[in-house]
Order: sequence, then structure tokens, then C-alpha cells
Amino acid sequence: MKEGKSAKLNHQQQQQQQQQHQNGHLSPFKFAKLVDPEASWDKDQLGDVLHWIRQVVAIVCGLLSGAIPLVGGIWIVVFLAISSAIIYGYYAIILKVDEEDFGGHGALLQEGLFASVTLFLLAWILVYSLAHF
Amino acid sequence: MASTIFSASKYSDSLTVVGISICTAIICESISWLLIYRTTSYKTLRSSIDKASKKLESMKTTSNPNLIAKKSSKTKKIDRFESSLKESNRDLSLFKFKSGAVVALVLFVVFGLLNSLFEGKAVAKLPFVPVRIIQKMSHRGLHGHDATDCSMAFLYFLCSISIRTNLQKFLGFSPPRGAPGGGLFPMPDPKTS
Repeated sequence: MKEGKSAKLNHQQQQQQQQQHQNGHLSPFKFAKLVDPEASWDKDQLGDVLHWIRQVVAIVCGLLSGAIPLVGGIWIVVFLAISSAIIYGYYAIILKVDEEDFGGHGALLQEGLFASVTLFLLAWILVYSLAHF
Repeated sequence: MASTIFSASKYSDSLTVVGISICTAIICESISWLLIYRTTSYKTLRSSIDKASKKLESMKTTSNPNLIAKKSSKTKKIDRFESSLKESNRDLSLFKFKSGAVVALVLFVVFGLLNSLFEGKAVAKLPFVPVRIIQKMSHRGLHGHDATDCSMAFLYFLCSISIRTNLQKFLGFSPPRGAPGGGLFPMPDPKTS
């Protein structure tokens, strides 16, 4: 009975993934899955979630850094460390995924990395320039 | 009240650069959608790359070391899938390249416009001193020796990368993970930008 239920669940998940790929963007996404360690993840889905988490962290850190303001290149390194720690904490501790199934720690940690750095710099520079001069 | 505050700021031109970058990104993605993403060829290629990538992954991860006899035929299958994937990626790149020329022209015109508007003018203030190699872009065309003065070129570069990458991601236009050009520094899809 339990096997039948999980097979049906897998089939439904596969259908959802197919629709997602056909549409080319995220289909209706259950946000409860974001904090469910029992949920199964497709590589693309997990990659997208990690990407967007990084972007949100970048915007928040950029806005805060510009507002305080924080000055000096060291804060770029601090941002990298903080955002990577958040991403690692999310997939390793909250989701408890096996990173080997998704290409290793490197593949997961680099999702959205460059875009997040540029977004952080953009937010930081804009807020700093507009608020303090 | 916010607009009054920002227009009084010494560096309010930075908002103009950001605004133009956002509009440019939307225009470029619209052109890419018209010329590339809505075509059947692109959808077919994209779908075949996704399927081949997934098949390849599952074949590489599910391997039974006891079945030595079947190993060589499996290796051949993997090689076949890999070469098929490479071919599809090549076709995808070629397909996008032809249509990317129009987008490149739009970007060239916009950059020229921004250059003429803000040449020699610092549009923002950097909260850090960039390394020498970055200063070539961040201090491009500016007078004086203050390395924290930010030129339009650097701000436009940051806007382009961050806004267009995320816009492509949001719209589902970013290249498939099986395609080359990812890695540590994935740029917005160069063939469409």
C-alpha cells in the first residue's frame, strides 16, 4: 500500500516536472516544500531555489550595507561568506539533501553566485551613493 | 517625497542608468522571445538537451559494478548520449547566434546613448576602492584620481549582469544546465544578449 502511494506520488511529480519543462518556467510551486526535509528535489528545481535565495540575500545585504554604510572591499568577502553559509545551511541542514545527487557542494554553492555578487554590489553602490551624498 | 530626495542627490543619474538598463533588458528579452524562444526549433532542441542530460545523469549514477559484461555496452551508450548532447548544444548555440545579432545591435546603441549622456561624469560613488583591473572600467573616462568615483560603464555592467541574468531566470530563458557556459561565472545567455 505504501509502495503504491509513493509510486503514485512519483508519477505525479514526474508529470509536474514535465509540465514545468514544457512551459519553460516554474509551475505552481508548493512553498511548504521549501522547508520540508522529506520532499524530493529535481536538480533544476533545487538549483532555481538556491539561485533565488542568493539573490534575496544579495539585495538585503546590499541595502543594509549601503544604508549603514559599510565601507571597504572586505565586505564583499563577508557577503560571499554569509550568503554561502546561508545556502549551505539551507540545503544541508534544513533540506538535508545528499549533495552527491546534485553534483556536489561546488555545484550547489555556485548556483546564482555571480549574479548575486553583482546584485549585491549594485544595491550597495546605489544606496550608498543616493543616501550619503 | 522619495523622488524629490533622490533628484536632489548628487548621484541621481545612477537611477537613470538603472532604469535604462531595466528597459533594455526587457526589450532584449522580448526580441529574443520573438526570434528564438517561441520557435519550434528552439523548443525541440531545448527539450532534447534536457532529456539527454537527465538520461546521461541517471546512467552515470546507476551503475552495478557486478555486471562487468554489460559495462562496455553501457559505456558505449553513455558515449553516444554525450556526443548527441554535444551536437544538440552546438545546434542550439548556432541557432541563437544568428538571432543574437539583433540584440547585440540594440545593446550597442544603448551603450552609445548612455556614453554620450554621461561621458566624463561620475554617476555613483563606490563604497570601496576597486582593484586596478576593475578601475579601468569603473574609472573609465572620468577626470581626477579618486578611485571611488564610478563611471557609467561599470554601473551599466553591474546592471546588465544582475538584471538580465535574473530576468532570464525568471522568464525561464536561461540556458539548460546540460548546456556549456555555466560554471562559477554564468553570464546572461551571450547569444541572446
